[in-house]
Amino acid sequence: MSEIDHESCGCDEYAAMSRRRFVLQAAGASVFAAASPDWLPRVVLAPTASSRDIVVYVFMRGGADALSLCVPWGDTNYYSGRPTIAIPRPDASGTAKATALDNTMWGFAPAMLGLYPSYQAGQLLVIQGAGLTYNSRSHFDAQRFIEVGKAADPSISTGWLGRHLATVPPLSTAATLRGLSISQGMPNALEGAPKTLPIPDPSNYLLGGSSTTRAARQAWLNTDYGLAEEPVRSAALDAASTLTLLASLNISGYTPSNGATYPTTSFGRALRATAAMIRGEVGVEAVQVDVGGWDTHQSENPLSGTMSLLMTDFSNALGAFWTDILQGNGGYNVTLVAMTEFGRNVRENGSAGTDHGRGSCMFVMGKQIAGGRVYTNNWQPLARDNLADGQDVKVTVDHRDVLAEIVSKRLANPNLDLIFPGYTPTFQGVTK
Amino acid sequence: MTDPSSRRSAIAAGAAALAALLTPRAGRAQQRSTARLANATAPRRAAAVVAATENWKRSSLRLARRITFGLNPTETQRAVRLGYKAYLETQLHYAALDDAAVESVVAANWPMVNQQPSQLVQANQSTIGQQLTDATIYRQATSPRQLLERMVEFWNDHFTIYFNKVGYLMVADRRDVIRANALGNFGTLLKASAHSPAMLAYLDNNVNRNGSPNQNYAREIMELHSLGVNGGYTQNDVAELSRCLTGWSLSSQGAFAFNASLHDFNAKTVLGVTIPQRATTSGQGQQDMEQMLDVLIAHPSTATFIATRLLKFFLRPDPSAAQIAAVANAYTQTNGDIKAMLRVVFTESWLVAAPARYKRPYHLMLSALRASGATIPASATVLSAQRTLLTQMGQVMFDWETPDGYPDRVEYWSGNVLPRWNAMSTIANSSTGQIVVADTVFTRFGSTAAAILDTIDAMAFGGEMNSTLRDELTTYLTAGTINATRVRETLALALSSSAFQWY
Repeated sequence: MSEIDHESCGCDEYAAMSRRRFVLQAAGASVFAAASPDWLPRVVLAPTASSRDIVVYVFMRGGADALSLCVPWGDTNYYSGRPTIAIPRPDASGTAKATALDNTMWGFAPAMLGLYPSYQAGQLLVIQGAGLTYNSRSHFDAQRFIEVGKAADPSISTGWLGRHLATVPPLSTAATLRGLSISQGMPNALEGAPKTLPIPDPSNYLLGGSSTTRAARQAWLNTDYGLAEEPVRSAALDAASTLTLLASLNISGYTPSNGATYPTTSFGRALRATAAMIRGEVGVEAVQVDVGGWDTHQSENPLSGTMSLLMTDFSNALGAFWTDILQGNGGYNVTLVAMTEFGRNVRENGSAGTDHGRGSCMFVMGKQIAGGRVYTNNWQPLARDNLADGQDVKVTVDHRDVLAEIVSKRLANPNLDLIFPGYTPTFQGVTK
Repeated sequence: MTDPSSRRSAIAAGAAALAALLTPRAGRAQQRSTARLANATAPRRAAAVVAATENWKRSSLRLARRITFGLNPTETQRAVRLGYKAYLETQLHYAALDDAAVESVVAANWPMVNQQPSQLVQANQSTIGQQLTDATIYRQATSPRQLLERMVEFWNDHFTIYFNKVGYLMVADRRDVIRANALGNFGTLLKASAHSPAMLAYLDNNVNRNGSPNQNYAREIMELHSLGVNGGYTQNDVAELSRCLTGWSLSSQGAFAFNASLHDFNAKTVLGVTIPQRATTSGQGQQDMEQMLDVLIAHPSTATFIATRLLKFFLRPDPSAAQIAAVANAYTQTNGDIKAMLRVVFTESWLVAAPARYKRPYHLMLSALRASGATIPASATVLSAQRTLLTQMGQVMFDWETPDGYPDRVEYWSGNVLPRWNAMSTIANSSTGQIVVADTVFTRFGSTAAAILDTIDAMAFGGEMNSTLRDELTTYLTAGTINATRVRETLALALSSSAFQWY
């Protein structure tokens, strides 16, 4: 984004902490360094920072139905397996139908069109048949195995994203907050990350009680928690420094760029806050956002019911994020990846829903992502003989191949053996 | 200040941290601090660590912390007077503890929790949810039957149901399934849950029909309610059990109903047990699942799984194989008697050696209400302020959408600390409103700084406040004029302190 955009957006109070202001403040304030608060960066971001992306990790909890998220309209097995919940082919009449993503197979349901501009711009990659190669249809095992980065190994508790942050130099050496999750608890993927917190609402982060004694009470808490056991100690001290950071950012006054409009849902607000943190340029380099409700065992209805509402929220929020942060020639170096723990059965059940399956899809967004296409690896027609256990899309792209390529190529972290232990990834050409 | 770190040194640090990052949960504290070495910024180092259990001298109070929603002077005296074993037995035999006064307040203020589904089906659903939440908060904060209430909390998660999906059906489930059996027999409890309209609706069994079954409940009753995910069932067992469950549904008035026209009467094989084909006119279709419930209850994996869950909730996150086997053996020997299992879980030598557990937001709020001596005025019919605190901290009751229940790990909760501090401040400063902490509670032992610290210690720490915390609180209290405002802020800090976050 240009300097002019910043100054003309009518949000100068928000712009107070932009990188340019940082540089100016740091230079101008150097003689007053002793008086400036701890969190104020005293060095400019490293020159190499621009070659490394900020990562946004979206976890769709519940096992999202990949065949509704990215419709295989070119496969008659899809229609025979789903007599009541299929999205009609692009050549069907009316508007309740798929929009083609290629000439032969794939399309977006109407509720997914919020992502269409990013796809057309070549910055959105959809991967079908992705997932956990370990055969589990348990939500909780599958989520845990994906988040820790290895299946069925109870000895590992930290998350892949947490280990990434723990093994890479900070994007900004002065960052007080390197990672966050827009949530009330810490997701497993981020566990083990230094300077990382769950923050439900970054626009409302204040220590309550009397303003007269606030500073004294905060100092008391810092002293008390400074002697506490981990992980409580670090969490409290990070929260204290984040109070100062967020007070300076005024996220509630954030104005998205390029006319982006985020849904007023919790997921929309979370991505809006994520964008605000990125634009604040305060050194945040990993953000996780969860979006739930995908466990569509009954009345799935991807055209006008439950799944339609879920997809509308998902695609409009991600679409707004793309418009705000990535669209055009300016923008930020950000890679966003969205995934779920598993897909759902190819054939619908007796209650117009789908039960737990295997292969699903992943969405990867960014300027350096080889997007504008649906990527598959040896995709087969959805006939029973081609399905896992006779019922599910096979996992033909290990999710770790996708994540590892992003970690290596976009996040500049070579420690793949630590982040995905016991696995040698095969890069699939996710990045340019 | 900023120690610029090269890529190489970070990688070296990463390699050094490899072992730590990939070690079991038990080494978490060390692991986390080692991981921080990989952080290129200078880590903040503690001069010393005050353990959560510092100065926890009495085993009876360790037990009281575990089996209640928090110490207060009354509970502390009771536990110390009775001693470890007698106090445990008193709490296990909860029927002898008089809770008539509590139930009379509940009946007067939140009558919906005592009503039947047929009375609630037309009622305002959000009012039902508020009354269920408020009554639960009130009972758990004030009931003398504290272990029963902790078991209600435990089963509320084990058999979690999302209120927004089932609405009014939740009331009967939480009352007649969970609360009625919380310290009873596990088999009775599992069967009651399987016949509960709320559970059947929550896990989509109300639409499970012959021909193309819905597998949701069949999977979760094995994975989450009985056998555990590693309990030895297969995907085929899920599919076959879902056929047994076809037709298990509910009536329009919210009662259990078996719908034979939706049932699959063909033969099935589940967990090696063959269910015979039955005539569609036999009237025996419901027997498929009734038989399988007995199989699940008698299965050794269920004994192990329930034992593990109880140990993790009450004792430690990493119970030993021997501890699991001992509790599972109690299950097997008594055919699922929950009290018998708890007697083993609370083996005194185990509890004394167990690490402190981190309070979830709900537990923290309850323990602060109890410690502060907060009272609910007779006129109060809503606890909306308390619900707001829970929302901010992240644990609104009955609002966890997925069937695994609220997490219970310090790593999950400890990062969202700011709303916890704010909630403690709100409670300590509540001199009017839906709950009241009276000024008089602070002058129990007098009005000097030492007397006020003694009071806070007795209220919130069972007289076992560690000396570091006492010194810190004394410093804050005496930094200004000792007046009501200063005293309340000191209490807020005591409740916000790291020491109060553990039980």
